Amino acid sequence: SMGNCAFDAQNLISISLRKIQSSRTQRGGIKLHKNLLVTYVLRNARQFYMSKNFSQTQRTHQYEDVTAVREKQDYLELTGSFTELADDFYCNFSGVESDTWHCGAHQPNGHPAEVAHQDASACAMVSPSDSDLMVSEACWSCADKSSWELPIPNTQANQKTVLDLDTHVVTTVTNGYFHSDCCAQPKQPQGAQGFSKKRKLDSSYHIVDPEFYLPDFGPVPCKRIRTDDDLHSESEQLDTTNISNLISVLGSGGLSEFVSWQHTDLEQIFAAQTICLKHTLLTGSGWTRAIEAF
Amino acid sequence: ISGAVQGAGGDMQWCLSQAKGSLDDDVTEADIISTLEFNHTGELLATGDKGGRIVIFQQEIENKRQPQYRSEYNVYSTFQSHEPEFDYLKSLEIEEKINKIRWIPQKNAAHFLLSTNDKTIKLWKISERDKRPEGYNLKEEDGRYRDPSTVTSLRVPVFRPMDLMVEASPRKVFANAHTYHINSVSVNSDNETYLSADDLRINLWHLEITDRSFNIVDIKPANMEELTEVITAAEFHPHQCNTFVYSSSKGTIRMCDMRASALCDKHSKMFEEPEDPSNRSFFSEIISSISDVKFSHSGRYMMTRDYLSVKIWDLNMESKPVETYQVHEYLRSKLCSLYENDCIFDKFECCWNGNDSMVMTGSYNNFFRMFDRDHRWDVTLEASRENSKPFQVIKPRKVCAGGKRKKDEISVDSLDFNKKILHTAWHPQDSIIVVATTNNLYIFQDKMN
Repeated sequence: SMGNCAFDAQNLISISLRKIQSSRTQRGGIKLHKNLLVTYVLRNARQFYMSKNFSQTQRTHQYEDVTAVREKQDYLELTGSFTELADDFYCNFSGVESDTWHCGAHQPNGHPAEVAHQDASACAMVSPSDSDLMVSEACWSCADKSSWELPIPNTQANQKTVLDLDTHVVTTVTNGYFHSDCCAQPKQPQGAQGFSKKRKLDSSYHIVDPEFYLPDFGPVPCKRIRTDDDLHSESEQLDTTNISNLISVLGSGGLSEFVSWQHTDLEQIFAAQTICLKHTLLTGSGWTRAIEAF
Repeated sequence: ISGAVQGAGGDMQWCLSQAKGSLDDDVTEADIISTLEFNHTGELLATGDKGGRIVIFQQEIENKRQPQYRSEYNVYSTFQSHEPEFDYLKSLEIEEKINKIRWIPQKNAAHFLLSTNDKTIKLWKISERDKRPEGYNLKEEDGRYRDPSTVTSLRVPVFRPMDLMVEASPRKVFANAHTYHINSVSVNSDNETYLSADDLRINLWHLEITDRSFNIVDIKPANMEELTEVITAAEFHPHQCNTFVYSSSKGTIRMCDMRASALCDKHSKMFEEPEDPSNRSFFSEIISSISDVKFSHSGRYMMTRDYLSVKIWDLNMESKPVETYQVHEYLRSKLCSLYENDCIFDKFECCWNGNDSMVMTGSYNNFFRMFDRDHRWDVTLEASRENSKPFQVIKPRKVCAGGKRKKDEISVDSLDFNKKILHTAWHPQDSIIVVATTNNLYIFQDKMN
């Protein structure tokens, strides 16, 4: 029965994230249906976890839908915006590009970070019963990251991630930064600047909505005539709409970036990532069910 | 017989007629059966597998006179329908697995069927050749050309009998119309059009025209973040050529009328049963997702399959099903493990018998279930070579959900979840059923004393 404790919810979140991750390398492409169902489990587990932990007195029915939860716990800032999700998964930058990665969060005194050459295994997972659900240290193992650069947050507008299939370069201008819940600082570190960064990727991990490319080739059976309004509202176009791909978000800041890392123990990284992501999901403001789009 | 109502279903005694496929415990992935379909007379049975192959079995007509042998089916034709493809633009491999086969009602001596993988639908013509022309003037019998100078007289070639050859040839390829994975095809009762459905869209095709199709349902939201459900199955009404239904991952079925508008995003009816709140769990959304929808032959009802149950809907009543049958309710307490091992995503199909009095669907441990609608009787049977001898009546099985396990019962924890029956088929006119285990085909017939 679902009267079980929060451990089950956390377990389910791990399992679900792994399913989403492994679906990316499955033959035949990502199964939209399965991934959609997995995100429902993620949402349910999160709702359960939050209703259990946030306030005993304010406990709501475990499976109330998101709107009701929103009303009662408005400090959660569940806006339904994909940007918020991006917030949760991207890490804050000091804005300085260098060979070693600096986690912006590690700037207790406003100095540029020198960081965290820590093992992923040093990632301390805070016990879920803590009311202050913060991870004390963000732990990214700092290996050679020449093949990987994190996107820099642009605090102004949310924009789109586009994969250039010729050069395999992903162009992303995001509003993402790793949420403070996960990076131990309760507020935004100073020095965060916004600019877009090009990122090299293993293209097999990044899937863009296939319909983005549709107008260029192949007949599309479509009885509807697309109006200009339609075009502007379509997330397929490169415009100022949100990042529309959960996996690219996870990929950009999260799991697959580490999976594509070469010099590191994948399992460790994965475990650390999962823990940090879980905490974000469980604690963070602004996480809402993000739908896999490809 | 302890008080159980006996009726047509209860009188049925199923015997294993044939088991086809490899005896190996090691299953070659390509041989995994992915779809199963009788043609309209039941004479032909088509199977599709993960390797993109189609095997068609034919009923032995000579045996029809002897009822106990009437369900002997032998291989009629085998051909490669789909090959794996690579979409270089999206860096995606397109699986060759056959998702669905649908027969076109027969118009002449040849048989036609539609087969589809995730992206491409093909129309295949299966025809027999039992004679060939002989006596060409310019060609030898083996096909080599003769030296024209050696030809001194002319003759008219004639047809002579030959060993029966069954040829399958692709007549049409319907491609590039689906961005997402195709889950259904359904031939219209007008015999001219058919629909194909993927996760977000349904297209209408003419069987003769491959370079265009009409989009009749599109549930893709403008912003993919707002996606809450996908299309899981679609089917045309068996008699009304303007009507079709599609089921969703949210457990709803929408019925659409193509006469109402060109784009059928607005349904004419929506069938939905609200969830019992006491059953709410982390997995509620998953288990309410409909994996199959099938109209009855009469066209008055439709049946849906979700993870734990089969529901029969009266097309005139949208608020709830008229009948609900529990397939394996004992799994409700195991959903967490079934989620972990991915079994909860298994897509079971369901089927009607010829006169709509019974329905059948598969389960785990190579069990399958039959429900008699008129007499409220149900049975669990097993597809197993070890436990069935040809022409012997197979024993019903029982799963012990808890408490003391009786002799011959099997406990839930002993069930083999790798042995799943996802595809079953019922002969349209006879009491012959076919059940596909992972890579084997089991044919059962009713004993009929």
